[in-house]
Amino acid sequence: MYENKMPDNIPLEKIDDYRWRIPRSYKPGMRVPGLIYADEKLLKDIYQDRALEQVANVAFLPGIVNNSLAMPDIHWGYGFPIGGVAATDIEEGGVISPGGVGFDINCGVRLLKTSLEYDDVKGRIRDLIYRLFSEVPSGVGSEGDIRVSPKEEKEILLRGSRWAVEKGFGTEDDLDCTEENGAMQGADPEAVSERALQRGKTQSGTLGSGNHFLEVQVIDQLYDREACDTMGLDLGQVMVEIHSGSRGLGYQVCEDYSRSMVGSLAKYNINVPDRQLACAPVASNEGRAYLSAMKCAANYAWCNRQCLMHLTRQVFEKIFGSPWQKLGMSLIYDVAHNIAKIEEHKVGGKEKNLCVHRKGATRAFGPGHPDLPEKYRKIGQPVIIPGDMGRNSYLLVGTEKAMQETFGSACHGAGRLKSRTAATRSIKPDILLKELESKGIIVKASGRNTLVEEAPSAYKDVNDVVDVVHNAGISRRVCRMRPLGVVKG
Amino acid sequence: MKKVSYQLIEHTADIGIRVKSFSLAGLFKKAGLAIAGLSLESHNHIYPGKHKIVIRQKAANLEELFVNWLNELLSVSAVESLAFENIQINQVNENYVDAVATGSDIRNYKINTEIKAATYHQLKVKKTGLIWQAEVIFDV
Repeated sequence: MYENKMPDNIPLEKIDDYRWRIPRSYKPGMRVPGLIYADEKLLKDIYQDRALEQVANVAFLPGIVNNSLAMPDIHWGYGFPIGGVAATDIEEGGVISPGGVGFDINCGVRLLKTSLEYDDVKGRIRDLIYRLFSEVPSGVGSEGDIRVSPKEEKEILLRGSRWAVEKGFGTEDDLDCTEENGAMQGADPEAVSERALQRGKTQSGTLGSGNHFLEVQVIDQLYDREACDTMGLDLGQVMVEIHSGSRGLGYQVCEDYSRSMVGSLAKYNINVPDRQLACAPVASNEGRAYLSAMKCAANYAWCNRQCLMHLTRQVFEKIFGSPWQKLGMSLIYDVAHNIAKIEEHKVGGKEKNLCVHRKGATRAFGPGHPDLPEKYRKIGQPVIIPGDMGRNSYLLVGTEKAMQETFGSACHGAGRLKSRTAATRSIKPDILLKELESKGIIVKASGRNTLVEEAPSAYKDVNDVVDVVHNAGISRRVCRMRPLGVVKG
Repeated sequence: MKKVSYQLIEHTADIGIRVKSFSLAGLFKKAGLAIAGLSLESHNHIYPGKHKIVIRQKAANLEELFVNWLNELLSVSAVESLAFENIQINQVNENYVDAVATGSDIRNYKINTEIKAATYHQLKVKKTGLIWQAEVIFDV
């Protein structure tokens, strides 16, 4: 085992208490500076691995505009840092990189509310979590009851959540409250390999493993009464959060196109310091093909989370003996945090068509944006930030400042602090379960490894991360939740 | 399952390994079997049968071949629901590998960690003196 820390010579210029710059002069080949959102406390953690080096590497991407951005939950990934945002100008030869999206395409999170209060559920948390664990397929390679024919699978790739809603697994309101209404336009199943289709065919409606989870929470702090009223939220209200992605189908799409785009580097004379940043111009055949396939995987992930929500609603119906509508189980919002999107943003005062990569970062559009559902247009887009299983999660809203500074983006979670191997060495699963239970948190996990790898001490404190995005003005706190019970994949 | 030795490389979000061998064939075999070592734990061998899968990969250079090889093993393992317990390398050079992976039903194992893919990040495959060494980071 050896340490792999940041080189000591990486220069950081302080802009203000929450923003730091890596100047272009750090590495010849950087086309823009790096811009890191963090305070001094988080910066100490960020310096523990090689994430800042990766921020500088992303700045090499052809067509990148303004800054290579890093959110306060940034940590070392592969190619892009996790918590990285980069936008490229399509007209200026801007590129798209599968590594800027990651293997779990459209990994994301959805938050639904209930009309239940803490007192309604406090004696039934264990029943609820154990039932959710048994009825929502989870774990590595988990397969679901939702079996689809090859033709139907392609329908999912085209139509995303709508496929699920038309099967009876949700409502039109759910689509209204999902980023892209649960399906990106322009998906082309022909761009997806047979292998990827094979990997996806039995995994609809499955949680997966690793950091994916299904969590029952209670609101324990309100920050913005107007936004809470708009979303129908109050103290003591029970919420459900679901974190999952595109499963094996997404991994295969990323692998297929990472492989082919390594060849594109020479073809388009692109120089990047890490092959995992392999890319091609968005407007090239290679770029268009990846984008079409990525959209398919993104749509698959939205359908997956829609199916997971449907299964969750069914479990609540059984436990509480009432239809989910009567239990008030409406979707607040669903956001992707591993994705590339073609969006219009102002650069140097001009509207530009950009390819915005969010690798472990959440879209956070400000008030008035036309892509938001009518009911949220006044307050801004809901931004869902899960923390670790022992602390908090947050609901925020996007801001105008995010539109100006971060292409409408914010953080995506707490961010890992300890490696999985370090967590496994230092944490005992039985002790961890007891500690969580002493805090009133019931956890059911598929594997003991997952449990310790995902222990709270393996993560930064989400409260610190959210403080930074709030204080930097790129999102605004609405309310905070604390976990009552967790199903871990 | 055939046990192989490998070193873990510390990585915040993912898992890296370093493998060494006296031959390139040995290096590919060890790295391939390390996937199972990282992710699987022997459970109850109640599903009989061994399945042999031919794996052939080519690439522009050795490092890319190494990543392609590992990703093909991961991908075939997922699609066929197999745990690869042994690997025979028939031929390997800078640009081509031909091997047979033998596996049994994945349900014979408890899966501890899902490995999504091998990445190019900080990838190294080189020979120093008599020893071949590779380092690779997996997305988990």
